[in-house]
Amino acid sequence: MAVIQATKISKTFYNPSESRAVKTLDDVSFSADKDEFVVLLGPSGCGKSTFLNILAGLTSHDRDGGKVTVHGRTVLAPQPDLIAYMFQDSILYPWRTVIKNVELGLETRAMSRAERRERAFKYLDLVGLRAYADHYPRQISGGMAQRVALCRSLALETEIILMDEPFGALDEQTRATLGSELASICRELKRTVVFVTHSLAEAAFLGDRIAVFSAQPGRIKIDIKNNLPRPRVMGSPEFRNFVDELWLHLQDAKQQAGAAPDRQGSPLGAT
Amino acid sequence: MISPAAARAALIVALLAIWELSIYLSGASNILIARPSQIAVAAWNMIVGASSAPDFYLNIGLTIFELVVAYAVAVVIGLSIGTVVANWKVLGDALEPLLLALYALPKVILYPIIVLTAGAGLAGKAFFGVLVGIFVIIFNTSAGLRQIDPNYLRLSDSLGFGPRRRFFSVILPAAAPTVLAGLRLGFGYTLIGVLTAELLTVNSGLGRLIDWASFNFYTPDLFALIFLAIGLGILGNMAFSSLERRWVR
Repeated sequence: MAVIQATKISKTFYNPSESRAVKTLDDVSFSADKDEFVVLLGPSGCGKSTFLNILAGLTSHDRDGGKVTVHGRTVLAPQPDLIAYMFQDSILYPWRTVIKNVELGLETRAMSRAERRERAFKYLDLVGLRAYADHYPRQISGGMAQRVALCRSLALETEIILMDEPFGALDEQTRATLGSELASICRELKRTVVFVTHSLAEAAFLGDRIAVFSAQPGRIKIDIKNNLPRPRVMGSPEFRNFVDELWLHLQDAKQQAGAAPDRQGSPLGAT
Repeated sequence: MISPAAARAALIVALLAIWELSIYLSGASNILIARPSQIAVAAWNMIVGASSAPDFYLNIGLTIFELVVAYAVAVVIGLSIGTVVANWKVLGDALEPLLLALYALPKVILYPIIVLTAGAGLAGKAFFGVLVGIFVIIFNTSAGLRQIDPNYLRLSDSLGFGPRRRFFSVILPAAAPTVLAGLRLGFGYTLIGVLTAELLTVNSGLGRLIDWASFNFYTPDLFALIFLAIGLGILGNMAFSSLERRWVR
């Protein structure tokens, strides 16, 4: 059953300096089922992040009949009780300790201080950061900060988590580690995740399903099921084959958009 | 290993000793300079009312009252203007060069005009204190609010924060370090403004006392009064330090 349903979403930005309208998204329809991990994959500037923001209710879409619903409820504004959102930057408030940052989203809820604390510790335990609960953000590394941001999203215990390139600002190694942690956390916790990335390897590693975007205007070019068995192994031949397949789809999407296909380089090298 | 506080105390004691001894041994005139021991005696006499200082407590109280009034006005108006300027971009851009020009102006040149309009009493002195102290409060408030990372607000939006929670949980703590620095500097400037006005208008307050001491060549009393003024500044600074320790991370 579809938890998130987006039909015929378009988004036009007006560029005041050139006084012209740019259509970033064109008639995008999309759905995500319960407990599904869907990756939105595409090149920079294809509108996948904008689309995610529209799903989150953080950005408006064109009023031309398009609609986003979550459990049948129309999304026009953020729904913190249904949807958690994770940004590319960790965005921890420097004046709060790690645990107070994790509790941030719970402060609007009818919960006691002790309940909030208990909930925050539960998720800090999950990512192994209990010992850092009373540290300030400046005292921890970038990878740890992003783990704390993950905790803050998970602690909301919403059915849906939207992630906008959450590991995009991290180094390759930390990125891979956090990716596999996220995969195991999602298997354990059962959440519906929509995850934006431009990394083929990340898409192949995490997604149950991958929606490949083409650019200008942004459309979903193809929606592929990822049948690789879990837990996935990044270097395995099947994994490489699937990454190659995604690469070809991305190239097709580029060609369709009128750009010359990129013939050089190996797909894994380009991730 | 000695603590910084102990080292500081030792330094002060050493400086006072050098001061005391060098004056004592050189035999310099007591009219031109006073020794720390004489200053302490003069201060004690003023405190217990044994000196001929005119209305010591009344005049000191008046200066403190002027300072408090001037600072309160500078804070309220400065925070308000800073907030408006930060949120209303057109107005902010229009006013910024004017405010900067006023800030750079040596305001003491305006004092004769202020005496004409606001008088040489409490109103004129407090007004001058406001004029000297308010700009740094305006600038820091505006800068503190403008420099808030937009991501902080994107996050609070995604968490569904309403305007009230957004202000108290995000905007206020994010702007606090810069705004508090402005309030601290503003206090120092307001003090300078009030004391300048006092020294230019010697009719009442600390200015009256300093005039009494210097006119009569009561040099130890003069030094004691100057230390009193310095003490006011240090006291204010200590209050801000403790506020910052509590609020700012």
